[in-house]
Amino acid sequence: MLRSLDILLLIFLLVTAIGVVRTKDLLGASIIFSAYSLIMAIVWQQLSAPDLALTEAAVGAGVTTVLFLIAIGRTVRREDE
Amino acid sequence: MKKGVIIFALFLLWVLLVAAVIALPPMGSSETPAYTHVVPRYLEKEVEEGGANNIVTGIILNYRGYDTMGEVTVIFTALICVLAVLGRENIKRHTSKVELSSVEKSVIVKSVVRLLAPFIILFALYIILHGAESPGGGFQGGAILGASVIVFTLTFGFTLGMKKFPLKYRTILESAGPLSFFISGVVALFCGLNFLTYMLPCINHAYQDLVRHLLLLIIEIGIGIGGGTVIGSIFFAMEKVEKE
Repeated sequence: MLRSLDILLLIFLLVTAIGVVRTKDLLGASIIFSAYSLIMAIVWQQLSAPDLALTEAAVGAGVTTVLFLIAIGRTVRREDE
Repeated sequence: MKKGVIIFALFLLWVLLVAAVIALPPMGSSETPAYTHVVPRYLEKEVEEGGANNIVTGIILNYRGYDTMGEVTVIFTALICVLAVLGRENIKRHTSKVELSSVEKSVIVKSVVRLLAPFIILFALYIILHGAESPGGGFQGGAILGASVIVFTLTFGFTLGMKKFPLKYRTILESAGPLSFFISGVVALFCGLNFLTYMLPCINHAYQDLVRHLLLLIIEIGIGIGGGTVIGSIFFAMEKVEKE
């Protein structure tokens, strides 16, 4: 049971990791990255590293996403649409 | 010709790296030095030597004290770099994009943040203070503290955020992490021991354990408050825009 949860989480992790790189839209990419961090936090917890899970959830999913969004808000889009 | 040399050099590097990887003990094997020497020592002796029931906290504050001190200094340096590039915000000159936008903020978001903010801060303090006994510690609690500053400022506006977390207090509190480490580390020097030793044999035996807990607690609180304010200050520095 737990094994299948782990496998599911790792598949999600792979999908989000590829999604971050493949997404052209920066806003979408940073939101997928936040989802990646959240899944990573659960994976840390599954690997019995709750200290890391707390850090990942607070820093990865919370703070860095906000900082990314602010940074995107301050840039200008220049690619050809 | 030049390309061939580069490819040959890269190939040599690859061979070297692969040879190094093959020479490593197999992954997860119980024969690796980490499992035969380091891990048993930590698991068996940490509570007695390190003074924290949570072994991870004992390792990062005690056995790896210098590394953690370096990390705390790195966080502080990151803040200095951000401020050197972007500059400090000023309550008279700056506002934020969120505040300038004409979109009305949702009542639901405001009410939820107003209700939850005290509990988020309480949770952060619990994580910081309980770091020696259960998962958590200064870094984690500090990150949650910083996140609470961010969520408050985003919801209730930049000006109110700057008023609630005034610059004059933040300037002092930002250095709390490295400072608390330095203060707790220096105490041992007065006993003639090495820097960052928490067990002090030169004081009364009955108080030794208490003093050790106190020193660890000072460091945890310092890292927590320092980390939280650093995250908040980086956020303020990035979020500000000039008023017209």
